[in-house]
Amino acid sequence: MQDRLHILEDLNMLYIRQMALSLEDTELQRKLDHEIRMREGACKLLAACSQREQALEATKSLLVCSSRILSYMGELQRRKEAQVLGRTARRPSDTGPPDERSPCRGTICISDIRIPLMWKDTEYFKNKGDLHRWAVFLLLQLGGNIQDTEMVLVDRTLTDISFQSSVLFTEAGPDFELRLELYGACVEEEGALAGAPRRLATKLSNSLGRSSGRRVRASLESAGGSGGSSAASPILLPTPAVGGPRYHLLAQTTLTLASVQDGFRTHDLTLTSNEESPAWLPLYGSVCCRLAAQPLCMTQPVMSGTLRVQSWGQVHGILKGTNLFCYRHPGEASAQEDPLFTIAINKETRVRAGERDQPRGAPLTLSISNRYGGDEVTHMLQMESRGALQRWMEALWQLFFDMSQWKQCCDELMKIEVPPPRKPPPVLAKQGSLYHEMAIEPLDDIAAVTDILAKREGPPLDVPPPWLALFTEKLSTSKLPIHAPRSPSPPRACPGPRATPWGRPRTLSLDAVPRGRPPLPPRSSSSSSSGSGSPAPRQRSPPGRGFRAKARPWLQSPV
Amino acid sequence: MIGVRPRGTPACPLPCPRQQRPPATQQNPFRQRVEIHKLRQGENLILGFSIGGGIDQDPAQNPFSEDKTDKGIYVTRVSEGGPAEVAGLQIGDKIMQVNGWDMTMVTHDQARKRLTKRSEEVVRLLVTRQGLQKAVQQSMLA
Repeated sequence: MQDRLHILEDLNMLYIRQMALSLEDTELQRKLDHEIRMREGACKLLAACSQREQALEATKSLLVCSSRILSYMGELQRRKEAQVLGRTARRPSDTGPPDERSPCRGTICISDIRIPLMWKDTEYFKNKGDLHRWAVFLLLQLGGNIQDTEMVLVDRTLTDISFQSSVLFTEAGPDFELRLELYGACVEEEGALAGAPRRLATKLSNSLGRSSGRRVRASLESAGGSGGSSAASPILLPTPAVGGPRYHLLAQTTLTLASVQDGFRTHDLTLTSNEESPAWLPLYGSVCCRLAAQPLCMTQPVMSGTLRVQSWGQVHGILKGTNLFCYRHPGEASAQEDPLFTIAINKETRVRAGERDQPRGAPLTLSISNRYGGDEVTHMLQMESRGALQRWMEALWQLFFDMSQWKQCCDELMKIEVPPPRKPPPVLAKQGSLYHEMAIEPLDDIAAVTDILAKREGPPLDVPPPWLALFTEKLSTSKLPIHAPRSPSPPRACPGPRATPWGRPRTLSLDAVPRGRPPLPPRSSSSSSSGSGSPAPRQRSPPGRGFRAKARPWLQSPV
Repeated sequence: MIGVRPRGTPACPLPCPRQQRPPATQQNPFRQRVEIHKLRQGENLILGFSIGGGIDQDPAQNPFSEDKTDKGIYVTRVSEGGPAEVAGLQIGDKIMQVNGWDMTMVTHDQARKRLTKRSEEVVRLLVTRQGLQKAVQQSMLA
């Protein structure tokens, strides 16, 4: 049975590759090849790794890659079908008759995802010290784009599953469907897998990872010997050699434009596993997240050009989002200066070509009316040519259409932060020795110091300050002026805004006990007065200072 | 605002009447209140003096302190004709407070920052002066 399955799997891989090639869709083919290679890599890693965490990560990567491959396969099949039936590939701009508009694309960002858990009393009592742990992650799919969150370990001490990462989808339409799937695997000490056929089924459901995986498994178990090739059976992908941890689909939901809001919202989760499932987690049944959308019409200028506005004269207008910004000339806009004035364009705005009571042969005008409270404010825009008028009208109609499609996303621009690429945990900054904290600078020369001072203060310092004679060592210099370029500094906990030629003040060194001195008390902001009324001053003998004096010149800063 | 020198005017060579020092505070005769109006030099507001000291600095190298374990902030230089000199700040003064903020247990950089806040055009310092200290001590003993 296994051999037959292997053959089928290999054939399928071949089929996948051939289809991609035949379609000559280089983009999709490249993506598919990439995922297949990633998948093979993940399989190898899974076979080679020994630690549980690694195995979990590798299995997760496997699952994600498999999902992506399936999704690309689905896309390929659709395109192949379309090709075979003689139609060209469907592109968004081609749908429908030419005068039917299509809304602009946008970026969707989901972040701060939190899934509450609902632990029962039994969970606390039945384990008797054993901490059951689960590895969970989210798989997010929008169109053909599949992304995953980081893997989080959950146990009964947590009240929620929180994902720190935010996921971005570009090129989404207002009719998007964002599918959320929560996968979980039980993290146990023992890795027992019972029986060979079950093992195979496990591997298969690992590889496919979706409800299709379960169906395959079910069909295999029920069919027994037949290769599981029923009509509903999906493509079988090559399985990893060893069985790794098992991820199960715990919950899912689909979010659409209606769920988009510039703030946190709670959505319902459809729970797909029950208590019998080994990876079952007591989910409360909802997911809380921030789903934001930025349509392109809000972030990119839709139209720009020269306009003549009544009572303002000639301006350079830029139509972007809910505003028509008018600048004196194009340079101002690129210099990011404030516009001369702004006309609001929103759902309530009314645009009309031409003027009321327009005499015959009148110039090409556009009127934009807005209601502010009880008043109606109308701006008259005059175009340079009929072509310009057409273009502006078209741009405005497209904008209004986009607003009607993207609805609440066009009320105000929702902020989206592009998440930084996920890095491995940062290496802790080395806690160096005293030597690391000494800055070695060439500015030891007192002549250079006085030069700097002279330049800064104006009147030349002909006579060095009288206290200079007290010292045999070289003194520190003043700090560089504020607008000097910053010198590169070692990564440390508290950087200052200006570069000091003598290294930063050593606020970290409060714990460094100097020779012969008691440790310093912790610094408090409400300290009482010191200094005045102190006991007889203790003179410190210069030899006692040792190397520290040379290493730490006494800083002086001009203010 | 009363008492704010308009921007761009150079430091007045004569001490302005409003900047005459008020009598020493009653609680502690060693202390002086000094009010400095910052001078605008290009982009920066300067006070016209330099500070030394701080809890992260080596107090033994402080030439102005009587007690060589004193980690307070001291005035190490006063530029001629600058706002600090005009206000009556002297070299060797120990700065106890700046606009109410304590300066006796701060790092060097913190002290500098508290004096150079861009939002503040006037800084009111509470300083201790050794000469004054000695003078009062002597007057008390006599």
